[in-house]
Order: sequence, then C-alpha cells, then structure tokens
Amino acid sequence: MFKDIVVFLRYKDLLINLTEREIKARYKQSILGYFWVILNPFLQMLVMTFIFSIVMKVPSLGVPYPIFLYVALLPWNFFSNSLSSSMNSLVANSSLITKIYFPREILVYSTVFAKVIDLILAVSILVIFMIIYRIPVSTRILWVPVIFIIQLIFTTGLSLILSTFNLFYRDIQYLVSLMLMLWMYLTPVIYPVEIIPNEYRFILSLNPMAVFVNAYRQVILGGGDPNLNSLIIGVIVSLFVFLAGFSIFKKLEGIFSDVV
Amino acid sequence: MDNNQSNHTQVLNINRVSKKYFLQKQKTFKEFLPSLVLGGTWAKDFWALKSINISLNKGDSLAVVGKNGAGKSTLLKLIAGVTSPTVGKIMVKGRVAPLIELGAGFHPELTGKENIYLNGSILGMKRGEIDKKYHEIVEFSELREFIDQPIKHYSSGMYMRLAFSVAIAEMPEILLIDEIFAVGDADFQKKCLDKLKEFQKNKVCMIIVSHSLEQIKNFCNLGMVLRKGEQVFFGEINQAIETYKKLLD
Repeated sequence: MFKDIVVFLRYKDLLINLTEREIKARYKQSILGYFWVILNPFLQMLVMTFIFSIVMKVPSLGVPYPIFLYVALLPWNFFSNSLSSSMNSLVANSSLITKIYFPREILVYSTVFAKVIDLILAVSILVIFMIIYRIPVSTRILWVPVIFIIQLIFTTGLSLILSTFNLFYRDIQYLVSLMLMLWMYLTPVIYPVEIIPNEYRFILSLNPMAVFVNAYRQVILGGGDPNLNSLIIGVIVSLFVFLAGFSIFKKLEGIFSDVV
Repeated sequence: MDNNQSNHTQVLNINRVSKKYFLQKQKTFKEFLPSLVLGGTWAKDFWALKSINISLNKGDSLAVVGKNGAGKSTLLKLIAGVTSPTVGKIMVKGRVAPLIELGAGFHPELTGKENIYLNGSILGMKRGEIDKKYHEIVEFSELREFIDQPIKHYSSGMYMRLAFSVAIAEMPEILLIDEIFAVGDADFQKKCLDKLKEFQKNKVCMIIVSHSLEQIKNFCNLGMVLRKGEQVFFGEINQAIETYKKLLD
C-alpha cells in the first residue's frame, strides 16, 4: 500500500491532466458548453418540484421545496454521476490500459474529481436560491466539507469496485443504473426522512447515502447538529468500502489489460 | 533480487517469465447456463510466453523476431508493465517509454497543445518537465501552426508525428518499439531514425519488434527469436537472424 502511494504521487500531474481532459472534452462542440452542469440539475429541480411539491404535496419541513430538494439532489447527483461515469472509465480507456503502464486507479479518480468540479459549479445555483429565499445560515455549515469528504471516500471506493467488475462483466453497468434508480428512492432526496414510519427508519441508517443526505439537510437548513452516531457509522462504512475497493482494484490491476 | 551477474549497467532482467492467458469460451448467458449444468469448461489456458530469460545492459538494442502469435507483443507488454507475468520476475531499472501504437492517449477533441501535456503525463512526465520540453516537441513535430487546433482535424500523418515527438521528448532508460518505422513521410522517418540513433549513442536500451530483418541488422546488436511463446534463441544479432531464417524455411 505504501509503495502504491509513492507511485501514485509520481503520477499526480496525470491525475490533474486526465481530470482536465474529462472536463474539457465533455462539452466540446456544444453551444452552452460547461453551463450544462448548472442547467441540468436546475431543470431537474424544476420538474421534480412541480411533481413532488405541487402535484403530490410532499412536505418539506417549512423550507421552500426547491431548496429542500436541491440540498439533497446535488450530493445525490454527484454520487450517481460519479458511479455511472467511473464505472466505464476503465473500459473507455482500454486503448491506454493495453499500451502504457500508469496506476490505473488514476482513471477512476480523475472521473470522480471531474464530478467534484461539476458539483461545486452546480452549488452556485443553490447559493443564489438561498439568498433569494433568505435562508439563514449558521456556523454549522462548516460541517458540509466534513460530510462531503466522507461521501467522497465512499463514492470513490464504490467506483473502484464497480469499475473493476464492469471490466470483467459488462452486465454490471446495466445492473448499476437500475440499482441507482432504486437507491435514490431509498434515500430521502425528494422526501423528508420524517415521513417514514419510525419502525422502518432503521433501514435508512444502513444506507450511507441516506446518512449523508440527512446530515447535509440538518446542517444547511438549520435543523441542528448532524446525528453523530449515524455519521460515525458512515465514516466506518466509507473507509471499509474504500479500502476493500482499493485492494480489489490493485489485486486485479495486473490482468486488466488481459480482459479488457 | 540482486544476484551476482547483475551489475550497475544492467537495466532489464527477465527471469524465467511465463505468461498465461485465459481464453474465454462461453460468452453469452445462453451458452453459459448449459455449461454450468453439464460441467463444461469455462475457460481455456493459453501460454503466450514460456520461461523467457533476458538480461540487457545500458546501450543494448535487442530485436525480437518471430512469426505472428509468437508472443512478441506480449513480451513488450510485460516489459512495459501493462500486464503482469503469471510466473517469474521482471526487473526494470528506470523509465520505460513504449512507442507501441502511438497516440494511444490522445483525445480528438483536445488541441495539439493539450494533447502534448496529456500524453506526456501518461508517459510519466511531470508538468514542469513537459513545460521545458514543449518547444522542442512542437519543433520536432513540425506542427507549430496547427498546435492550437483540435487534433480531430489532423491528418493521420500529423497525428503520428505529434505522438512520436511526445514519446521521444525525454530520454527514457528503456525504449520499446513495435513496428513503428513507418511514421509520416520519408523525411520525417529519417528524422526519427536519427533520433533513435542519438538515443543509442546515449546508452538508451531499446527493444524492437520488427519484421524488417534488414533494418534490425543495421540497428541492433542483440536478437531474440520466439516460436509459439518459446525462446528459441537469444544472443548476437546475426546469429539470431540466421536462426530465424532457418525457422521460416
């Protein structure tokens, strides 16, 4: 593991360049270009607000629904987009994998990092909304980077696992897109946790994404401090997933070019 | 790892290396299920290389010859670290630069300049090193006027020129060359060969896969003959070519 880190550091410029490539190349030959990363969740929010708030009257705990939704939707999108893109990052770069050696995890990291940049840009709309609706912000907002780092570790770990499996069996990508859709419903993104009957709420504590999304809502929308117990479980699960993902990835890395 | 034979000029040591591939037979679910029930074989072994031994010093140029499927490309992949050996150990000292299928890391939507930086870092160069070499790369490729264009507008010759220029920008310890003596027009080809000769003078170790016996005879001092993954000969180049010619008859 120590040796892996040394090699990785030697290639950190590659990580930056691949992240740049990911960002620059994506919206080439489109008029709105990178503006899509802001526009996309915004339009998603408009449609969802109409359906879930206006038509279905989902409660949003006294906060305007668009903001209530956005606070959870952005980190969820980050998670879901990271998984769907990084899952294909090894397959899509097979020409590189079969020709040149470099630490392969950089392909996964760069995909996830590009999504971090997307998220940061998309947050700008949330900030504007919070100013328009005059949502008060407390110092608890300092929890956000902490929660995000935990979520990042979880997301990256899962990406490492899925990208490896997808290289061996392409079935994974179809399975995962289905799974992500179901997973979103099991995560309180479009609804508040509070509407789930008490006896079923434990299901959510098994879902790290539910823990993260809840914590974001707590600290941004002034619901109080995050539930530390859940968050600690989140940290443990995330670290476990990352370490497992990393060792599976490194163990199979030597035969990636044989199966791709 | 160090044994008595290895000394400070040795850059590559391949010790009893074998590589096994699994050839997957059943690909679809429809085929997979019956084989599961009937106990058919899931995969077939295939030894691409069997017990290979090579030791190269600084300044050596090794030509690898053999018919198609002899394991030449697998050997280069093993040295490049792209795939790991099933059995045995490979010791490599220093940076290995593969000139295998040039431009593998290029992205068509990015400009020539962006691709230089991208490909340079894929080859293990740091940003600062590429900054220093940037003008040299552009100069060598003769693409200065097109360098800010997306490379999807390049001709295939221009594409190869750019790729080659990045690949040889920095002197590696070991250079792997797979049939790439055909880069661009005759002028550019000569320029490439001159560059490779310059590397040779500077004691870069080269491993060349080629079918052009004339070329390797002039260029290499060592030769290796492979047949169906087995090492038939390793040693002096003229003897290697003789052995290979006999094999062809």
